[in-house]
Amino acid sequence: MRIAVCWKWVSLDRDHDVDERWAGVSAADEAALEIALLLRDAFDDCDVEVICLGPKDADDVLRSALAVGATSARRIDASAELDGHTVSAALADHLHGADLVVCGDYSIDRGTGSVPVFLAAELGAAQALGLIDVDLASAATMPLRVVRRLDGGRRELLDVSLPAVLSVEGSVARLRRAPLAASLASRSIAIAAVPGPHGRPAEAEVHPYRPRARTLPAPTGGPLTRVREILDIGGDDGHAETVTLDPPAAAGRILDQLREWGY
Amino acid sequence: MPEQTTVDAIVVGAGPAGSAAATVLARHGYSVILLERGSFPGSKNMYGGVVYPRILDQLHPEWWLEAPIQRWVTRRSTMVLTDTQAVTVDFRSTDWGAPPYNGATAYRPDWDHWLAGKAEADGALLVCSTTATGLLRDGSGRVVGVTTDRPDGDLHARVVIACDGVNSFLAKEAGLYGEVDAANYTLGVKETIALPKDVIDERFAVRGRDGVDIEILGGTSGVNGGGFIYTNLDTLSVGVVLKLPKLGAQKLRPEQIIANLKAHPAIAPLVEGGEIKEYSAHVIPEAGLSMMPTMTADGMLVAGDAAAMCLAAGIWLEGVNFAMASGMYAGEAAAEALEAGDTSAGGLAGYERRLNDTFVLRDHRKLHRAPALVLSDRVQHRYPAMIANTVERMFRVDNPSPKPGLRRILNEERKRAGVRIRDLAKDTLDGLRTFG
Ligand SMILES: Cc1cc2nc3c(=O)[nH]c(=O)nc-3n(C[C@H](O)[C@H](O)[C@H](O)COP(=O)(O)OP(=O)(O)OC[C@H]3O[C@@H](n4cnc5c(N)ncnc54)[C@H](O)[C@@H]3O)c2cc1C
Repeated sequence: MRIAVCWKWVSLDRDHDVDERWAGVSAADEAALEIALLLRDAFDDCDVEVICLGPKDADDVLRSALAVGATSARRIDASAELDGHTVSAALADHLHGADLVVCGDYSIDRGTGSVPVFLAAELGAAQALGLIDVDLASAATMPLRVVRRLDGGRRELLDVSLPAVLSVEGSVARLRRAPLAASLASRSIAIAAVPGPHGRPAEAEVHPYRPRARTLPAPTGGPLTRVREILDIGGDDGHAETVTLDPPAAAGRILDQLREWGY
Repeated sequence: MPEQTTVDAIVVGAGPAGSAAATVLARHGYSVILLERGSFPGSKNMYGGVVYPRILDQLHPEWWLEAPIQRWVTRRSTMVLTDTQAVTVDFRSTDWGAPPYNGATAYRPDWDHWLAGKAEADGALLVCSTTATGLLRDGSGRVVGVTTDRPDGDLHARVVIACDGVNSFLAKEAGLYGEVDAANYTLGVKETIALPKDVIDERFAVRGRDGVDIEILGGTSGVNGGGFIYTNLDTLSVGVVLKLPKLGAQKLRPEQIIANLKAHPAIAPLVEGGEIKEYSAHVIPEAGLSMMPTMTADGMLVAGDAAAMCLAAGIWLEGVNFAMASGMYAGEAAAEALEAGDTSAGGLAGYERRLNDTFVLRDHRKLHRAPALVLSDRVQHRYPAMIANTVERMFRVDNPSPKPGLRRILNEERKRAGVRIRDLAKDTLDGLRTFG
């Protein structure tokens, strides 16, 4: 059985050299490792490997992972700022054959949380994301029972079969403390590094703000009234605009407007 | 059974005292573990904001080339406040803005981190996020290490140096302190207030890296204590130091007292428009010499605030330099004792000798009356009004009345403030004996 934990090491001080005070991994990443270590106890003959994409400065956090009991740690040597696709592709190269991958739901720079999604796709594994609970007892019987947060305070119970990628919130578990001797011993461990991607992500395309969906009361009038309500036409709030255009120009105008509204 | 971790020395607390002690021991070639409960040195520490690092000339020559300072203090003011008045004595010197410098403002997460980094560079092993929870002793009661909050966290050493700050649990556990009296402590509270650098330069009449240190008597809402304002590059440190029993009796919240200070007509124009970035509070061992513990036990030394070394004497609030110096001397004495193979209290006696021979205990001895004098009710509640009213009348133009003589004004204002001649004479004499 092979469990992998993916950590995102971040240096928050982007203007200067890496300052270890403002660099590290998130509470969610730490929770991911704790869940992996707890699950290891539930499975026979199980290894937990921590893997992290980043520069050499990230080695310290990997040493701390070894100090708390991870079986092995590996760094994919890569520049710090890469997009989710590149990161997940690089991780996947090293994770084929893993039965379970556990990631944190967010990094300390509050990324998009997209790496676990892409990673599951790359690995052809099941995904269960944004978890607020992992039922450790279910590991003995499988499938793994996990709980996911939904909007509006709702919860989703998922039964996950392996191989799978999980991402967990920081509240799921608190990472155990390293024994003092292990912590001291880990300082001299050399972390294995393998070559990985370098470079900066392409500038992201910035789209206009997309407004939230509005809740409208149930329709009362006929279809035309309903369309008017939805499109805000005919009110006196100044949103309405009447244009007279030939069909191709009208279609272009509508598309422009929809884009501007964020659709 | 985990293997026992044993080193020559354990230094508890990576504040200024601990890092200085660890540096010295490491330079002597001893194995040292520097334990810090914060996630990095300085992460849990606060103070007013001015360091006087002259003592570092010995430990880190030309420290100013790399120390993480905010501004060099080139202007020092002492302010006496009443509700509506302010008397300020203002001094500035361009010499203090050039090497070898005098004082500087610095943030503790920067300063302590830098100083601990120097200890690490010299070979000390810094272990953060680890709290020493107690002392390990052998059958004879001699200190042989510490327990920590980590699993299998016992650490053994030939000598332990407690630099764990004010209210040192380790020094108390070792029985080095007598009865603890709340009257010996003050509470320091501080706001860090952000303002653009050019606004600070303008308001405090400084340029570049030059900075200002203002100590304030009065302005603490009737609670015995004092206030301070220090300039950082783009923040101000504004705070008060409050005598604990008086604070308890007044039932005022410390943050309210800072708010009142900031609203004072002499202070408001300096701070207005600023954004509060941080609020912090910490206890200060205020009583100096009279509250100091026994400095050595078998296998153990105590330095810095843990040994009540902070000098809080009115116009002086110096703790970091006393901590660095006492830490340095503790390190030297411990190295000497390790060398001689005798880390009993007797073998560590070189520590107290060094403290006695240097400014650390000499200044404390000289100024031992200062804390009580400065925090006394008369100095706190009667003299500010007496001084401010005297100055106001000196400068007031009451034409067609002729100008009164200073002696007459002083006498009248003394009476108005309710100060008896006998007490004034006694306090003047005390002041001369203390500061003279
Ligand atoms: C409000 C205020 C204003 C002040 N203003 C000034 C000023 O302007 N200038 C000045 O020079 N001094 C000032 N001082 C005093 C100065 O802060 C102290 O004298 C100085 O910090 C003492 O240094 P230290 O190393 O002895 O202790 P500390 O700085 O308190 O450091 C102790 C260290 O030990 C660690 N620690 C504590 N317990 C444990 C444990 N059990 N295990 C592991 N680690 C532990 C702490 O986290 C900390 O890092 C001020 C103090 C206050 C409160």
